[in-house]
Amino acid sequence: MSERLSDSSDEALGRRLATDLPRYAAPARLRAAIVEAAAPPRPRRAFWLAPALSALATAAVLVLVFLPMLPRIPPADPTERLVRSVVAEHTRALMWGTRRAEIIPAALPWLTRESGIGLTRAFVGDDRLVFVGAEPVYLDGRRGMALYYRDGEGHLLTYMVLPAPGLPLPERRRVQVDRFKPALMQDSGFSAWVWRQGDLACFLVSDMVSQADLERFKDYFVRVRVATEPVPAY
Amino acid sequence: MATGDFERQALQHLDALYNFAMYLTRNPPEADDLVQETYLRAFRFSHRFQAGTHLRAWLFQILRNTFLTFYRLRERESALAEDGVPDWDVPMFHDAPDDTAGAMEAHTDLERAMHRLPEEFRTVLLLAEVEGMPLEEIARVMSCPVGTVKSRIFRAKERLRALLRDYETG
Repeated sequence: MSERLSDSSDEALGRRLATDLPRYAAPARLRAAIVEAAAPPRPRRAFWLAPALSALATAAVLVLVFLPMLPRIPPADPTERLVRSVVAEHTRALMWGTRRAEIIPAALPWLTRESGIGLTRAFVGDDRLVFVGAEPVYLDGRRGMALYYRDGEGHLLTYMVLPAPGLPLPERRRVQVDRFKPALMQDSGFSAWVWRQGDLACFLVSDMVSQADLERFKDYFVRVRVATEPVPAY
Repeated sequence: MATGDFERQALQHLDALYNFAMYLTRNPPEADDLVQETYLRAFRFSHRFQAGTHLRAWLFQILRNTFLTFYRLRERESALAEDGVPDWDVPMFHDAPDDTAGAMEAHTDLERAMHRLPEEFRTVLLLAEVEGMPLEEIARVMSCPVGTVKSRIFRAKERLRALLRDYETG
């Protein structure tokens, strides 16, 4: 150093301060910490969100568990209501079998007495449908009769007759099958042909719902329809 | 000024602020804390910053005020006598903290002399000569008139020369 700092001028001392004093650069971690502090805070999840989601999930599970146990609202339409009852009976027979299957025509007098319905002719099966049994039923406050058949592929068919004077058939559901025009209705994954014979309502229920099954179901309907003649017995 | 712009512009002065903090505290961890606190305050009160004014001066002012607040508090606490009565002889402008473990080591006489200057002299020299700030900005940082800044620069250099003379004469 040629000049003593203690003797230097104000300008010279100022220059030496600018050039000789070490400069300290901010460490990278400090810069990172400040940048992080400057970043907008992440949106905090609301404190109530987790318990609310948990409660919703629990409620959803409970609904799924208890939904099948809840009473179903019966349809306002009397035909649909009756179809639902018939399908429920068909389902019961499908799962548990008939209560007291009888063979016709031997049991016809007893069946007529119990159901209030007589059969002047009855379809007792053929090469496509095997007669399984017959029993009296009580549905929707009406006594009736059920005949069960099974086809070669194991489909159970339930033919049911119930007294239902003036039961309306939904026109838009009616299908021309051979020389008949029954209504094809669906309920709970089952198909049902519905038609009237006098004051009696007749049903043929099966789980044949696909388009391919439907043609066969039509054929079964014709077989049962032409060979069965129910009449009110009392 | 948009928040993002403000933060970006403020961060451009980080190195200068850290250098200033190092000369004030003479302790890297304390300088870290001081600078971080300065930026936190600046971000928190960014809405008070008037766009078009000197951001650099505003940041230096925050840093210095933060330093004085904390160090005055520390000095006041340590100045309490054993009987709990404050010692009224504590100087308004105090020297930097004494050498402690971890304190920055001075490598040259100039640096050593700077460390021994009272804070207001050290600050005025750092801002004027090292940062090259105009007198008006320094006046804002130190919250005093420009004439006072000039006077302090003069007195600071006189004091610095005296200290350097002591080192040179051994």
